[in-house]
Amino acid sequence: MSAVRAWFARLGGLFGKGRRDRELEAEIASHLELHMEDNIRAGMTPVEARRQAILKLGGIEQSKESYRERRGLPWLETLVRDVRYGVRMLAKTPTLTFILAITLALGIGVNAAIFSIVDSFLIRPLPVPHAQQIIRLASHQIGGSAPLGATAFSYPDLADFRKQGADTFSDLFVYQPFIAGLSADGRAEQLLGSYVSGNYFSALGLEPALGRLLLPGEGERPGDPPYLVLAYSYWQTRFGGDRNVIGKEVRLNGDPATIIGVAPKGFRGTYSILDMDAYLPLSMFAQGPELGGLFTVRQMRTLRAMGRLKPGVSVAQAQSVANVIAERLANQYADADKGISVRVIPELLSRPDPDVGRMVPAVAGLFLLLAALVLLLACLNVANILIARATVREREMAMRSALGAGRLRLMRQVLTEAILLALLGAAAGAVLGVWASGSISSILPKSNPPFHFDFRFDWRVFAYTLGAALLAGFFVGLWPALRAARTNLSAVLHEGGRNDSAGANRHRMRSGLVVVQVAGSLALLVVAGLFVRSLGRAQQTYLGFDPTHLLNVIVDPHEIGYDEARTNQFYREIEERVRALPGVQSASLAFNFPMGSFTNGRPIEVEGHPPPVGQQPPVVLFNQVDSAYFETMRVPLLRGRAFVDSDDEASPPVAIVNRTMAEKFWPGQDAIGKRFRVAGAAGGFAEIVGIAGNGQYMIMGEPPQPFFYLPLKQSYSSMRTLQIRSSVPPASLLLEVQREIRNLAPDLPVYDAETMEQALAGGNGYFVYRFGATMAGAMGLVGLILAVVGVYGVMSFSMAQRTREIGIRMALGATGLDILGVVLREGFAIILAGVAVGLVGAWALTRGMGRFAAGPSRAGFLIFAGAALVLTCVALVACWIPARRAMRVDPMEALRYE
Amino acid sequence: MTNDKTDVWQGTLALMVLKTLEMMGAMHGYGVARRIEQTSGDLLSVNYGTLYPALLKLEQEGFIASEWGVSDNNRKAKFYKLTRAGKKQLEKEALEWEQATAILARFLTPGEAER
Repeated sequence: MSAVRAWFARLGGLFGKGRRDRELEAEIASHLELHMEDNIRAGMTPVEARRQAILKLGGIEQSKESYRERRGLPWLETLVRDVRYGVRMLAKTPTLTFILAITLALGIGVNAAIFSIVDSFLIRPLPVPHAQQIIRLASHQIGGSAPLGATAFSYPDLADFRKQGADTFSDLFVYQPFIAGLSADGRAEQLLGSYVSGNYFSALGLEPALGRLLLPGEGERPGDPPYLVLAYSYWQTRFGGDRNVIGKEVRLNGDPATIIGVAPKGFRGTYSILDMDAYLPLSMFAQGPELGGLFTVRQMRTLRAMGRLKPGVSVAQAQSVANVIAERLANQYADADKGISVRVIPELLSRPDPDVGRMVPAVAGLFLLLAALVLLLACLNVANILIARATVREREMAMRSALGAGRLRLMRQVLTEAILLALLGAAAGAVLGVWASGSISSILPKSNPPFHFDFRFDWRVFAYTLGAALLAGFFVGLWPALRAARTNLSAVLHEGGRNDSAGANRHRMRSGLVVVQVAGSLALLVVAGLFVRSLGRAQQTYLGFDPTHLLNVIVDPHEIGYDEARTNQFYREIEERVRALPGVQSASLAFNFPMGSFTNGRPIEVEGHPPPVGQQPPVVLFNQVDSAYFETMRVPLLRGRAFVDSDDEASPPVAIVNRTMAEKFWPGQDAIGKRFRVAGAAGGFAEIVGIAGNGQYMIMGEPPQPFFYLPLKQSYSSMRTLQIRSSVPPASLLLEVQREIRNLAPDLPVYDAETMEQALAGGNGYFVYRFGATMAGAMGLVGLILAVVGVYGVMSFSMAQRTREIGIRMALGATGLDILGVVLREGFAIILAGVAVGLVGAWALTRGMGRFAAGPSRAGFLIFAGAALVLTCVALVACWIPARRAMRVDPMEALRYE
Repeated sequence: MTNDKTDVWQGTLALMVLKTLEMMGAMHGYGVARRIEQTSGDLLSVNYGTLYPALLKLEQEGFIASEWGVSDNNRKAKFYKLTRAGKKQLEKEALEWEQATAILARFLTPGEAER
């Protein structure tokens, strides 16, 4: 304690120096007088008394100095002095300081921007207490390729996990996002919510902002009361923060529900990329179509499971417990749980969903690495300039050393200057980063429901930026600092400023830095090239339909309480009206559209081949479409027929499968006429009447997968996409289509309306590729600029230093062309070395990224070659300018120089 | 030291200052220095200059407090006195010192005897 107290006292001692000095003077003076009096009393003469007193005190000035040192914090005072001196030095050369700071700002800004994105997706924890205890349970079909299997949990399995895992998990809960229509105060609109188990809020440790939250057990029996908890932001925007909202009756998809509370501010739900508007009990989920068995049917894997680990339980321990439980369930309920494994994943590593989330940290890591590379290039530039300047300041350093400054002291001075520079760069870089991440937010697709992008500058981004800046400052200051410490006094003071040969060593060092720069820049360019090629390849992917001139409009009359008959009636009429609009070629209805927000998948069972016991039936994606679908979408039918209007409730069920499905389930046979059904369903087998061409269905770039179509008349869905093929630009039809919808059903919210091409640019389409290409491309460009500046800088400096040498050569008869050759040879050697190193580095860097960008291949080779060529040419141009200056050197002037 | 007086080193100086202030009450720096010399029977020579940084350190640590006052013979001087924390610290350090010397004594005494 006393040490801390003393430290504060010393910190305080830094201020009011004058007053404290005077006080010390006074104390010493009074000491001397007291001593003198004693001495005089002992019989000395006043002069002798004073002499003895002073002698006994021992050097007054030393005493004062050691007193002063004890009073304040000497290192802090030195730091303040260094900073002051550094600021003065930086202010002395404002242009140079500006250039250096901007260069660093570029590098730091890129890092701040990338990190703020990574932070918002991967690092910022859930706003709940002890967020590190939150995990996800992802069930997996062993050996299965089903894309939907990874997140899905059934309620009965959850109940067993809760019971048997009670020692490991303090809570296990489920949620499932949904979209519904909410009407309150005579206004209907779309709402994004989560059905949650009763313990959702208590497990997360949340307290209500108003009213109450759902309680453990609530809503986990069919028929439990329809309660609704509002999200804070939704309460603010939709209900204006009205405190009387508690107890209010609203209608959700036409069914009544009661608002009981408001979730805490800042909590957005547990599906990281989306903002939830409300939370509802599972009992309301169970009211949905085909969900009656939610609480009892083990195969009904429709929930996302999460949990909280007990304090002190590790993920690995939890995983082994989960393994035991999963195995027990597999034995006990072989028909449902055989072949299902359960993974325990920390929440941070599984955003937004475990199956998607696996790749996200790797991609994030790659981009952080690229950003670090950009910063390295910026640092190399700055280091290069600082080393050049260290030459100029060598005499200053030598002088200071001669006046008694220690080596460490000199190093500290130089490092302080460099770090000051980096902090200056960090301040500008933060501004740049905010701007960059802001503009990145704006290029993100407008999706519905809206993605949550919150690239704010929180303390983590700040800390990262500061860390990057300090590291950069240390890095760029290290060489000049080492130089300063090594300064050879007599050599410098004798050299008299002439350094034609002494600088050779230094020059080699600077050339080495430029080699690294060229190499790093090449690696960035290659990565950027690979990302751009991935985008190009994605855009050329064969989609299996024609995306041009196509408009998608999604509505769901269930949201305003329409029943099945009225819904069918509505769709029949709207389809007719839209077809009558001018410019419309054809219109059709389907549940979803490719690369849209929704996907449907069901386990299927082929007639005559029930899945063997202990093996789960394969999940296959499908769509429900009407008779005009294949014509409107221009999906080619390879064989058989499309649906017709007479494929309705009264006629035998039919289906159309894609080529992959036909080949996978009926290999070597004609699939037409074969039958299959949704596994476990009571319904009859559907007969295949047609085989459609393959396409992309869920996510752009997916491998070919089985897919089937069912007629909407035999497979009801209240939510449908109205798809319109037009001869005019599709967006121009939107207003008229919306007007027709309003005329038919005034309250019906249009969930989503966009052209197919807009949809393809979205999250499931090119977006990831475009995002990657944009970011990698931007970094590649920055890297290229930095490398060019570096090459230019080192060549100009080299030429300026060699003016005398060039003058002599010219005086001895060298022509301008000879000189040009000398310069270009030197530049070319640096560039070639850099390119060689860079090719190796880029190859190593890209070997690991084959999964999310095009990996090395024949076309990849072209990218390597192209990047090397571009870089070489641009860098040679950067050499050309100093070379031309060297050619124009006037030998007479050069020799008189200095 | 050719001198037969022993120089005072920092750690023990602080302890002596505290003990002196405990026995004598408030005192100025010169008085403390004189008192230490006298108590040691003039065997110790306090370099008065080193006293002031030591006093400052003790004050910063909160063991002593200072105040300007007037000396017996009417001179302005800065007076130091022990604080409560200082009293406790003194007890603690004195105990430690006793233990340390006791241990050292056990090492040194037989060695001396052999010689």
